[in-house]
Amino acid sequence: MTSKSRRAAIAVLVLLPCVAMGKPIAFAHGTTVMVERGAGTMNEAQVFYAPAYWWSVGVGALELNSEDGSKQRHVTYVRANLLAKRWNLPGAQANVFAWGGMGRATGNDFSGSTLARNAGVQADYETRRLYASLRSDLQESAHYSHRVDTVQLGWAPYAHDYDSLATWFVVQARRYSGDLVDGTETAFLIRFFKGNTWVEAGATRDGKLQAMAMFNF
Amino acid sequence: MRFLKTLTLIAGLLCSFVASSTTVEMDVNGLVCAFCAQGIEKTLKKFPAAEGVFVSLERRLVAVALKQGADIDDHDLRDALTNAGYTVVAIRRSETSLDTLRNEGKPHD
Repeated sequence: MTSKSRRAAIAVLVLLPCVAMGKPIAFAHGTTVMVERGAGTMNEAQVFYAPAYWWSVGVGALELNSEDGSKQRHVTYVRANLLAKRWNLPGAQANVFAWGGMGRATGNDFSGSTLARNAGVQADYETRRLYASLRSDLQESAHYSHRVDTVQLGWAPYAHDYDSLATWFVVQARRYSGDLVDGTETAFLIRFFKGNTWVEAGATRDGKLQAMAMFNF
Repeated sequence: MRFLKTLTLIAGLLCSFVASSTTVEMDVNGLVCAFCAQGIEKTLKKFPAAEGVFVSLERRLVAVALKQGADIDDHDLRDALTNAGYTVVAIRRSETSLDTLRNEGKPHD
């Protein structure tokens, strides 16, 4: 293996085991693959297909871990995403997404698997230089209820175009309910996207890696 | 001799007129990211009459170069963009090639 391919393999391994604030619907007739590694407390992978620009359906796997390692959840689910509202403005776009799904979950503090329910909402506003999003994701079963709330604010040092690389600096704040993590977890991320690929990576204030990748086909 | 020159000039003008193809330029709201452009490009390339597509986020512009003698109805284009999730503000036709449109957006030396 050459050093170049080794570096590429390491990058893929870092990004793959690890979804995020990308949009759950990219474009009509498009497939979106998202993977996220979230600072040791959540890992998620999702695949969605959008028959139209306003809805998509797909499957995902989510792992939630409490900060002290005492609670673990593994959830696999099917989910439908809906673009509830879009505002197309000159040089800007704002969206409200909602989603819901069902699946099976296992955990280390209950036996067997249980029916899991999921619902969430995301609102975002984006220009070519500014990005802001709010997301709330609820994971529930007979044995647990966890909500993950995430706020992201992004700034691009230059306005990108379709054929150029977009670079964003993002500040993220995330709160977990249901005894997973105390307080607010903040992270600083750098995000790149070009063509069909979006990658971001960064760290929380206590140095834990967070990474996300999204591909659209 | 003068007659021949005039004839050549007229023939050249006629050829350039016949060879020039039409480009449909659309001003679109909501164009902010590469994924928007990717979806639009994918949608418009499906039109058999489309020879090429150019999307400029900077100029909020979507342009479709038409094949010789072919055309796409404005209504169909507006529908395609609306069904892709964007808002068409204006549609116009020009003889400007996609290459020229691409270069117009680039900074000059």
